Amino acid sequence: MFEKTLIPVSYGERPEELKKIGKILKNLGSTSICLFHVIEAGSLFRGSDISWLTILKETLEELGLDVEVKMGADHIASSIVEAALHEGADEIYMKTKRRWQIGTMLLGSISRDLLRLSDIPVFVHKVRPRLPGDEEVITREDLIILYATDFGEASVRTIPYLMEFQGGWCHILHVRGRMADPFAEEIEKRRLHEKLLAVEEELRPYYGRVTSEQMVGDPSSEVLHVSDQINADVIVLGRKKPAFFSAPMGETAERIVTSSRASIFLVP
Amino acid sequence: MWNEYLKRESVFLLSAGIILFFIAVGIISPDLLESVSQAIHAGILDYFSWLYLISAFFFLIFALGIALSRYGTIKLGYDAERPQYSFFGWIAMLFAAGMGIGLIFWGVSEPLLHFLMPPPFMTSSTPEAASFAMRYVFFHWGIHPWAIYTIVSLSIAYFSFRRGMPALISSCFYPVLGERIYGMPGKLVDVLAVFATVFGTATSLGFGALQIHAGFTHLYGLSSAISVTIGIIVIATALFMASAILGVEKGVQILSKINIIIATILLLFILSLGSTPYILNIFTSTLGGYINNVIDLSLQSYPFEGYGWSRDWTIFYWAWWISWSPFVGLFIARISRGRTIREFVLTVLSVPTLFTFIWFSVFGGSALYLELERGVDLTSVAGEDVSLALFVFLEQYPVSGLLSLIVILLLIVFFVTSADSATVVLGSLTSGGSMIVPMYKKVIWGLSLSTVAIVLLLTGGLDALQMMAITAAFPFMIVMVILCYTLWVGLSQEKDRIEQ
Repeated sequence: MFEKTLIPVSYGERPEELKKIGKILKNLGSTSICLFHVIEAGSLFRGSDISWLTILKETLEELGLDVEVKMGADHIASSIVEAALHEGADEIYMKTKRRWQIGTMLLGSISRDLLRLSDIPVFVHKVRPRLPGDEEVITREDLIILYATDFGEASVRTIPYLMEFQGGWCHILHVRGRMADPFAEEIEKRRLHEKLLAVEEELRPYYGRVTSEQMVGDPSSEVLHVSDQINADVIVLGRKKPAFFSAPMGETAERIVTSSRASIFLVP
Repeated sequence: MWNEYLKRESVFLLSAGIILFFIAVGIISPDLLESVSQAIHAGILDYFSWLYLISAFFFLIFALGIALSRYGTIKLGYDAERPQYSFFGWIAMLFAAGMGIGLIFWGVSEPLLHFLMPPPFMTSSTPEAASFAMRYVFFHWGIHPWAIYTIVSLSIAYFSFRRGMPALISSCFYPVLGERIYGMPGKLVDVLAVFATVFGTATSLGFGALQIHAGFTHLYGLSSAISVTIGIIVIATALFMASAILGVEKGVQILSKINIIIATILLLFILSLGSTPYILNIFTSTLGGYINNVIDLSLQSYPFEGYGWSRDWTIFYWAWWISWSPFVGLFIARISRGRTIREFVLTVLSVPTLFTFIWFSVFGGSALYLELERGVDLTSVAGEDVSLALFVFLEQYPVSGLLSLIVILLLIVFFVTSADSATVVLGSLTSGGSMIVPMYKKVIWGLSLSTVAIVLLLTGGLDALQMMAITAAFPFMIVMVILCYTLWVGLSQEKDRIEQ
């Protein structure tokens, strides 16, 4: 499911960092990488030397990955999304950099546009999982996955991807608002407990350990809190259709993507 | 055992302690009380008067929105339940609880005061000022107060009748606080409700006592000393305490209905003996002006010219209604079991409002007619003594002595029924929502209401009453905004469950 990954790259990308990324993606099951560079209409580098792309390609090829380089133009996020579909990519991978954290970006930035526009899953690599050292290997078994679900349509779509991750531990988290009275609260608690057990059963064959919990509170805050508590590497989320007044990709997903230290795997 | 009592009665002990402290300071050092309450009051008005306007408007929009939405069909009770009271009985009780003394106190004097002292941008005592006065009277006594009551009563009714929780304001906070409604946060919400109720009701009782005193002074030349007003409060207190302690609930209901009937007869009498077409023209044209300008009026604080006027009147009224809302809300909730949300909201917002409009058109309109067309100088009387204007007004009609006596009787009965109901509601609020209230609590709350009214009258008279209503309402306004949220949460969860 993660066989082909599209990585948007820009001028200044460091080959040594890309190599580490390549190692992680390979361990997650990627065999083929598409490096995609968008030339902006007014860019100073338009039409100039693109040998840096060849260097990046060769770096990844050293890892045994099948790499191709593609170029696009015009609106950056739209070009990336279009290319991902055209190339048949299974996911788009983005690494947030320290100097360019998603948290500091304003509405309309490339990454946010990408998260909003993409019709294929987007993997936003943040602080966790950390990039492996030269001799280090990060395997699937090392990964702690946090699956944030509200049992809605968007959450259900993420299940096949969760099965594909096959990490060491999957923690299923359901966060909701409190019911209006204690009796209804108790019923809801029991109902959700049963549903969580069912999902646990479904995911058990794919993980060394599967746990679940339900919480009452603000979904984004609780997801972020639990993610830090369990030291999650990846938060798997479904992208909801945004409500009229909410943020472009739904307030919960947006806040999690912005503030999380764990990586995000957002399934559209 | 003592610890258990403290825990169980913490709302009662905390709220009674605060009120007792207030009374003690008022008696020992009235100047200190006056300066502190003035500072708080000025702070609230300086920084938050806009918030009162926006909140009241929001409550109106929210109430209408809930009524007209898919939640409107939800019943305040079990699905098969029928309304407990007849439509007329329900309306009569609604009305007696929600307005009562205020209508009689302000019926003549408020339009006259706006006519005499409009905001600075308007010339006093002109036809424009008369039109402005009537429009603002409709606004202050119109749909907004009932929207404020609706929020509290709907929340209590929904969470207690539909969700099976105790009839307490804190119960409505379950979606936000969870089990903490049984802890200190929940108790604090109930203490705020008690605090608002005591000062809101004491303000009304103070108005009532001032008006009764003015009536007796005017009719029988009774001394106008404040001690007489206090004496009136003491006698009325004895009456309503007796009623509350003896538990003559049925009697209070009958008195409320009789009062509404007497008020209606008085209204028809003034309407038929005054200039009927003039009054009806005032009614229709003011209604038109009100409907046409309701959004502007709702959010208008005249920041460039007339801000002080808006603070003195509109903000005072909004605060007064808010401070009454826990008491009236609980009462209205109790009598509205079995009605759908739509029926409840639309009736509460329309029927009493319409009656109030007619009341002010008849009393205020007749007063303006006498002033403008007959040259009777009522405005200077109202300007000097607000509570006296009604009796001077009644002098222009036949059998004025009898009319004045009827008005005094109406005031006394409203005083007794309001204070009696408030005592029971306060007792219930401080007894975990139970309607079986220990006698000592009834006595303490009854005495507290009257003593607070006396302390306020002694410290600053009418101004002190108004000031305290505004101060007490402020925290409860925030509580009401949260009530809107929790009610919406409860209703949407229920509808979602049904639809699933």
